[in-house]
Amino acid sequence: MRRRLKTRILITGAAAGIILLAVIFAGVIAPNDPYTTNALAIRKAPCADYPFGTDNLGRCVLSRVLYGGRTTIAATFFLVFLSFLAGTFIGMICGTCGGWADRLLMRIADILLSFPQMVVAIAVAGILNGGMKGAMIALGITMWVSFARLARSHTMSIRQEAYISSAILAGKSRLNIICTHIFPNLLAPLFTNALTQVGTTMIGLSGLSFLGLGVIPPTAEWGSMISEARAYIQIAPWAVLAPAAVTILTIVVFNYLGDLVMEYRETQG
Amino acid sequence: MNETVLQIRDLNAFYGQEQVLTGVSLSLKKGEVLCVAGESGSGKSTLLGVICGDHQPVSGAERTDRSSLLRIESGEVIFQGEELIGKRPSQMRKLMGTRIGLIPQNPAGSFNPVRRLDAQFKETLKSHGIGFDRGEIMRVFTSIGLSDPEKLLESRPYELSGGTNQRIAIAFAMLLAPTLLLCDEVTSALDVTTAITVIDELLKLKKEREMSMLFVTHHLGIAREIADRIAIMHCGRIVEEGPAGELLTHPSQEYTRKLLNDVPRMTER
Amino acid sequence: MKRSLSTGRKGRNDNVTRIVRWGKNLIRLIFILIILSFLVFALLYLAPGDPAEKRLTSQGIAVTKEVLDAERERLGLFRPFLVRYGEWLLGVFRGDFGVSFRDDLPVAPKLAAGLQKTVQLASASLLLSLIFSFPLAVLAAWKKDRVPDHIVCLLSFFGNSLPNFLISVLLMYLLCIRMRVFPVIASGSLQGLFMPVISLAIPMTGRFIRQMRAEFLVQLSEDYVAGMRRRGVKERYLILNVIRNSLGHILTIIALQIGTLMGGSVVIENIFRWPGIGKLVMESITARDYPVIMGFVLIMGTIYVAVNQLADICFHALDPRGQA
Repeated sequence: MRRRLKTRILITGAAAGIILLAVIFAGVIAPNDPYTTNALAIRKAPCADYPFGTDNLGRCVLSRVLYGGRTTIAATFFLVFLSFLAGTFIGMICGTCGGWADRLLMRIADILLSFPQMVVAIAVAGILNGGMKGAMIALGITMWVSFARLARSHTMSIRQEAYISSAILAGKSRLNIICTHIFPNLLAPLFTNALTQVGTTMIGLSGLSFLGLGVIPPTAEWGSMISEARAYIQIAPWAVLAPAAVTILTIVVFNYLGDLVMEYRETQG
Repeated sequence: MNETVLQIRDLNAFYGQEQVLTGVSLSLKKGEVLCVAGESGSGKSTLLGVICGDHQPVSGAERTDRSSLLRIESGEVIFQGEELIGKRPSQMRKLMGTRIGLIPQNPAGSFNPVRRLDAQFKETLKSHGIGFDRGEIMRVFTSIGLSDPEKLLESRPYELSGGTNQRIAIAFAMLLAPTLLLCDEVTSALDVTTAITVIDELLKLKKEREMSMLFVTHHLGIAREIADRIAIMHCGRIVEEGPAGELLTHPSQEYTRKLLNDVPRMTER
Repeated sequence: MKRSLSTGRKGRNDNVTRIVRWGKNLIRLIFILIILSFLVFALLYLAPGDPAEKRLTSQGIAVTKEVLDAERERLGLFRPFLVRYGEWLLGVFRGDFGVSFRDDLPVAPKLAAGLQKTVQLASASLLLSLIFSFPLAVLAAWKKDRVPDHIVCLLSFFGNSLPNFLISVLLMYLLCIRMRVFPVIASGSLQGLFMPVISLAIPMTGRFIRQMRAEFLVQLSEDYVAGMRRRGVKERYLILNVIRNSLGHILTIIALQIGTLMGGSVVIENIFRWPGIGKLVMESITARDYPVIMGFVLIMGTIYVAVNQLADICFHALDPRGQA
């Protein structure tokens, strides 16, 4: 059963890898320039030149989907990575130092979580009016909390282990102990959490983009592409369906991968 | 008096790789009390588990990776002519309660801790088609030394002491009046005077309703009080079995003598 | 005798601890609301430019030094930050959320009208979502690792992976354009409620099933379930006990999901032009009409915080064990 889980993780991981490669090498794969408008090919149905058709300005939908994936996925990964770093750092400080710093930071985390995340994100992104950066800040305000809590609890339980006290007795500095003993042990649970956050973050970011609080046009991004093309869905449904399909596919693949890795770690015990 | 209620033949059972029951054979007649005595970890409670259907269904081949489950290698457990091993949980449910009753080692855990006792009595009795009679339950409560039965019925198990919960479990057995009553360390949570009251009540049940009882205990003093026959268990095997008086006065095995030597010390405490 | 006495004492202690807990809840609620209001007021200073400038630009008036200073004087911007915060907060207590930058009309009636529409939409989707998720979660937990569980989990997984704006766009495409069951825009009417409610309910149902199933599984692994089985209690009573004991956690799950529902309803209201508070706030964001945005965050935040505190109180009322 565990081996079956492993193969499923490998297959889903490969699918995630293919998505990542496709958007990284968008420049090579894309048949057309995503920003070149073509007045002669407005809202053209899928054909040999434009495999996914064209949009309202005659831009190639496939190319825009590939380049748009770059924006969406890069922003998602960057945001998850930043929350991972910030959360882990804060969590480790709370876990090793304890005392008032721990209490203060955890109280701030509690308060941040007691507000409705998406409501705050919409208001902050709307007021900042700063494109994707603003959207990322708006979501990042609360995202670090889950990492911090996880890092804190794991740090606290690792601190109880015998080898930590022997390291302290050996005269090693606190920083040294954090780097060599605590941080490596935190990676597995935090990485799993990061993986499960990818799907939610992507839903949040593309939602803000869809509302017009993400990228500034004409930058290609899945949420804003869907939002733009929605107006003429009756005439050119492909311009909506293509970015919609890849959004769903990407979120499904990453959510499934997150579930599988979590299950794998649970059966480990 | 001669009808056999329970017949166990050559039972071998494993927890994962570890053999916990080896060639166990026992039989119990109607209205007879059999005491299985032994140290903790000798397999007594496992034996009760097997009778209660607490083992893995034979058909469940896909769950073999779970080593925590009890696995039966060979042997039979026949209750009133019915083979119990391999019965599905739904079939076992029909047997449990009115035909096979159990007073578990930790009775407090066997009740819903936050639900009122009268509701729990109602559910159990209705499941067996027995009318819910408040007065009858209160009479039973008083007979086993529980004061203020009206208030007790309105309280929730988490508010009550271990001893009270134990006696409530006994009250359940008295109301359901099973053909075979299994008792796991039934007096362990009670003080001496209450233990004597409870044992008297159980003996009355045996006499009035010809109930068969299988007592599991590490305390030979209890066995002396109640048992018709005694089986001594050690490391998953029955090392000696015989009529109570004979076995207690003329033990044939070294291990039994050792156990008997421990008894006075326990009663002094 | 002794035991029943001790039970009585415990009962009185329970009452005391309950009152103490309510007090703590109330203090926590007030504390969080003060922080919320402060952050909301600070939001105004997050954006570039001061309120006077924002107000003038949002009204399309040419910004000169004199006009700006006159406006600053009129808005009282030369007074300290905390004084202005205090005045604003007092106004909020009196139901005065300030005047709109756009048309100088008071914000409160606009917010109230929007909120009423949003509550209609949100409660309809919450209700629909619960009607489906609760029994399905019970079924999945009951038949764990068997076919019904796999089907329910698969559905919940996909519901969970679909952003609600995608669901609404796809629903529009399928129902309005391909199948022509609904008109594309039908706001206000019951028919107009259908698609926004479905779009909000599908992802929420997915999340509810996932979380409720996990909670039911925790309850099913408790000792009392095994105990009841060994007493031969019928399965339907078992389900009843499991549901009763998970109710506290389920209320918490629902209260937490209301936050996601609020965010989702902003998106959905804008897609379907539902005249709720979410549509109002997006219009205000475009028009840089800050008093409306502040009022929106304050109202939604207060509702969310209050609902969660209420859920906490209910949780402890349903499971009195933690009080001792």
